Amino acid sequence: MNALLTSAVAGLTAAGAYALLGVCAVFTFRLVAVVNFTGAAIGTAGTFSMIGFISLGVPLWPAVVLGILVGTLAGALIGLVMTQWFSESTATTKAAVTAALLVGIVALGLRLTGGQSPKEFPTLFPGSAFRLAGVEVTVASVLTVVLALVFTLLADAFLNRTRTGLHLRALSERPMAAELLGVRVRILALLVWAVTGAFTTFALMIIAPQRSPDFMSLSLLVVPALAAALVGAFRSFPLALAGGLTIGIVEGMSSAIDGISQYRGILPFFVILAVLLWSQRGARWDEAR
Amino acid sequence: MKRADLTSCLALVVTTAVAGLAVYGLLPAYWVFLATAVVITAISLQGLGLVTGRAGMIALCQMSFAGVGAWTVGWLNVIEAPGGLPVWVVLGGLAAVPFGVAIGLPALRLRGINLAIVTLAFAAAFDVILATITFPGQTSFLSVARPELFDSDEGYFVFALLFYLAVALGLSVLSRSRLGSAFLAIRHSERAAAALGVSIPLTKLSAFAFSAFIAGLSGGLLAGYLGTLVSENFSMMQSLALFAVATMAGAQLAEGAIIGGMLVTLFPELLRRLGLPQDVGNVLFALGAVQALASGETMAETLRRNLASLTVKLGLPRFAPPAMIGTVLPAPRSRRDPATAGPTLVIDRLGVRYGQVVALSNVSLSVPAGTVVGLIGPNGAGKSTFIDAVTGFLPAYEGSVRLEGRPLEGLPAHERARLGVRRTWQTTRIPPDLSVGAYLDLAAPGLRSEERAAVLAWIGCPSPDTLVQAVDAGTRRLLDVAGVVAARPAVVLLDEPAAGQSYDQALRLARRIAEIPKLFGSSVLLVEHDMDLVRCACSQITVCDFGQVIASGPPMRVLEEPVVKKAYLGIALEEDAA
Amino acid sequence: MTRTLDVSGLVINRAGLPVVRGVSLSAQKGQISVLLGANGAGKTTLLEGLSGIIPTSGGDIALNGRSVTAARAGERARAGLSHVEQGRTVFRQLSTEENLLVGMAPGGDLADAYDLFPELLNRRGVRAGLLSGGEQQMLVIARSLLTRPEVILIDEMSAGLAPVVVQRLMAAVRRLADAGLAILLVEQFAALALRIADHAYVMRRGELVYDGLPQPLLADPDRLHHLYLGDVQAA
Repeated sequence: MNALLTSAVAGLTAAGAYALLGVCAVFTFRLVAVVNFTGAAIGTAGTFSMIGFISLGVPLWPAVVLGILVGTLAGALIGLVMTQWFSESTATTKAAVTAALLVGIVALGLRLTGGQSPKEFPTLFPGSAFRLAGVEVTVASVLTVVLALVFTLLADAFLNRTRTGLHLRALSERPMAAELLGVRVRILALLVWAVTGAFTTFALMIIAPQRSPDFMSLSLLVVPALAAALVGAFRSFPLALAGGLTIGIVEGMSSAIDGISQYRGILPFFVILAVLLWSQRGARWDEAR
Repeated sequence: MKRADLTSCLALVVTTAVAGLAVYGLLPAYWVFLATAVVITAISLQGLGLVTGRAGMIALCQMSFAGVGAWTVGWLNVIEAPGGLPVWVVLGGLAAVPFGVAIGLPALRLRGINLAIVTLAFAAAFDVILATITFPGQTSFLSVARPELFDSDEGYFVFALLFYLAVALGLSVLSRSRLGSAFLAIRHSERAAAALGVSIPLTKLSAFAFSAFIAGLSGGLLAGYLGTLVSENFSMMQSLALFAVATMAGAQLAEGAIIGGMLVTLFPELLRRLGLPQDVGNVLFALGAVQALASGETMAETLRRNLASLTVKLGLPRFAPPAMIGTVLPAPRSRRDPATAGPTLVIDRLGVRYGQVVALSNVSLSVPAGTVVGLIGPNGAGKSTFIDAVTGFLPAYEGSVRLEGRPLEGLPAHERARLGVRRTWQTTRIPPDLSVGAYLDLAAPGLRSEERAAVLAWIGCPSPDTLVQAVDAGTRRLLDVAGVVAARPAVVLLDEPAAGQSYDQALRLARRIAEIPKLFGSSVLLVEHDMDLVRCACSQITVCDFGQVIASGPPMRVLEEPVVKKAYLGIALEEDAA
Repeated sequence: MTRTLDVSGLVINRAGLPVVRGVSLSAQKGQISVLLGANGAGKTTLLEGLSGIIPTSGGDIALNGRSVTAARAGERARAGLSHVEQGRTVFRQLSTEENLLVGMAPGGDLADAYDLFPELLNRRGVRAGLLSGGEQQMLVIARSLLTRPEVILIDEMSAGLAPVVVQRLMAAVRRLADAGLAILLVEQFAALALRIADHAYVMRRGELVYDGLPQPLLADPDRLHHLYLGDVQAA
């Protein structure tokens, strides 16, 4: 029992990261209608930039800020591609574009960061926060979970209480009606891309030391992220948050069980399978076609 | 097999043989070795092209399917199964099929984005599994045995090329079949495909099954090519890169698959020789794919377009089959005795609501055998909702719809279409990359080619080998009508067939519609705004407003009724006039 | 007199078919121009071309003498060309007041909207998706007013609404024009629209078949009937 708890707690950092990435995926889909396969890759780019700045002699925290800035720019750049050439495209085409871009970003990232040899990552938040039933809970794990929660609440508050948030909600519901009212739709879309870029970067900076920290593995965290987003049906922030946390914790727990532990990476696949099979009970015709 | 099919198959065999001989005879051994990789990748790309290019679904796990094939071949090699590599490769392909079907299942009714997610997750999961179980023979360095005849690198090139040719021929035949047209149709519009009687789940699943089979073949061939395999050969990034290449090159075309195979194999080789890092290739593929998606044209399509315009410039004769002058319309549907048989279509107290909004209420209407009935009404009167309900495109409605006495409730759209309730759409949804003839075959299977030509001539459409994208939008609407009537269903529901046509064209179409019951034996329900067309084509009309029937009877009388004028012209006209 | 909106020789294709075939019309400050025509005549397509929702293939659109033909939909909106689409395109998840705030220009005042349609004041906190059809129509017109436009294009505002509501809406539109806006009103239901209009156009098969005062049409319903439904003796 205790072993199971230990490993569940060990899964918390991943859980928080999955949740945050999942919530970001929902954010992107709800506001700009793109299923973004490059989400984690954007954050990874920012994280590796931080390492780069540190190796250039920049102190840790300024490097973190610069890294987040790079992640923000990377997000905005992808957003620019999407709004410039694909604003009128179908959801399928947009998803295909981000899938293709993922290939390019990973290749470029691997090249610039020296392949799949693991990197030394600074632990941003070392140490343990508290003990739970005799198990150490690390600061990093608490922080990612809190960050995911904060992003969920912030996104909610931002959308519901600010004028820009109002514009974004209008935009997500009826892009053309919003444009006809003079809302600056393209700039808002870029803003969404930039903000998700910043948050995923910070999440990946925290989680990176605990994963196999090469560019590709980190970029492919998009799979559990999309599984979490799917739990929220690409609509609900709280459900996506819960989905991400559950996947992470179950993944952690399964690592304690012999014979299953090496297969724990399959979990997102089964979550996706289950959610899709359940959610398509009533679905019939695609609205657009 | 038709003549055009035979010609193109022959062309494929000759091109492949000539290219193969050239590679085999002229190139040094190392290049033949590379060419084998090109061919194997091209096979896999053809499978991917079927799903992504033809059927329009995003599949990000092609190399995982290939991995299943390779693993199977490795295992058969270890247990020394009878038959040798040729049999093992085919078995490897078959082993991948259940995986393809299983992955396709959860995405059957949902949008392509979900399929993209589920396939990517499968690729990730497969990575995990392969890393754990390893390939049979990997640890003992047991190499996969090649057949004696094809043991050398040159020999194995021929072996792989034979498989490529078999797959290309198979796909060529498939693409000309009704199923092949159905793939294009579901990419273009699932609803329209269902309205033609195509089963969407079966079509999607078969695309996945074929694609997985072909991927499995290529994986098996790779096992024989490399001898021993490691899991990295089939990693998720390989699948993603292959997707990018397929999108860039246009893998649904045979030459696109070869271009893609060359890109994957030869580009890194080129970079190596230039002393550049080889992994930059993927960056290029990503950019190429984005470019192709933005422009809507793949490399293979660009090549075909340029070749075509070159042919025109050089004044070379283009392949054109002898024109057939259509005089023989297909025999009309055998009509039941009008005296004893009831009306063809009976709608009784039909009601549709969307949440709080009542779209249709208590609409009763019948279409007698051998007649054209008009359904008219102002905007928002519920006419299109009516057609959607009758043809099975709404999740639920009240009341009943009976076709020749048989209730249709509970039947999905494609089964209603097969039973004889066919419809057209307000905006045409004909896949632009089909030929006119292939569309007619898809809409009305089993027509003889002279019958096909006769139907097209009757309504004023171009010859069967014209591509739909070369046909103007007005004529496409005629083709839409031609498709449904050529199938000779019990009843056809035409949704504003004359929208956007000029006045003369509209009247001409009206006369054709009036002929449908006599020539094809089908009854017609015509939804139309254009009153001249309605007067010309219909013997009875029903007027709807606010989702209810407000008048019905012969056109001349009904159109003069005050309640109809009021519905059309506004609320208080007669008060003004008074 | 200033021509606030001046359209000349506009051509619009839809799915390759010419749906608007060389239409010239104008809307003037303080006036209501009504554009009538049967279903499928091309009225909605024309408005969508004017506001930039769909591209045009020929002709020119000028706002206060300056061509906006090359401008995107958002730029035209910010330049003072507002489009109230058909189908009451409220943001259903947003409250009535939030709907009004989305497009409110600097210097706009919510009170203007509630002054035009006092009915909306009581419903300010209600989600727009729950409003009645009439209230939704009022909301989209008020929402457009708060963008402080010079021209409002209104498409099929009376479709599916009860006569008493339609009269209420027509009166409000007249008020907007009297306050100095230029209105181009597209209607399928002719009689009421003609009575509040200063100028009338009728479209058939993508072309204007009438351009003149509304009174002759009101006086001769048979003429209007023919313009709409075609020649009864045809075929």
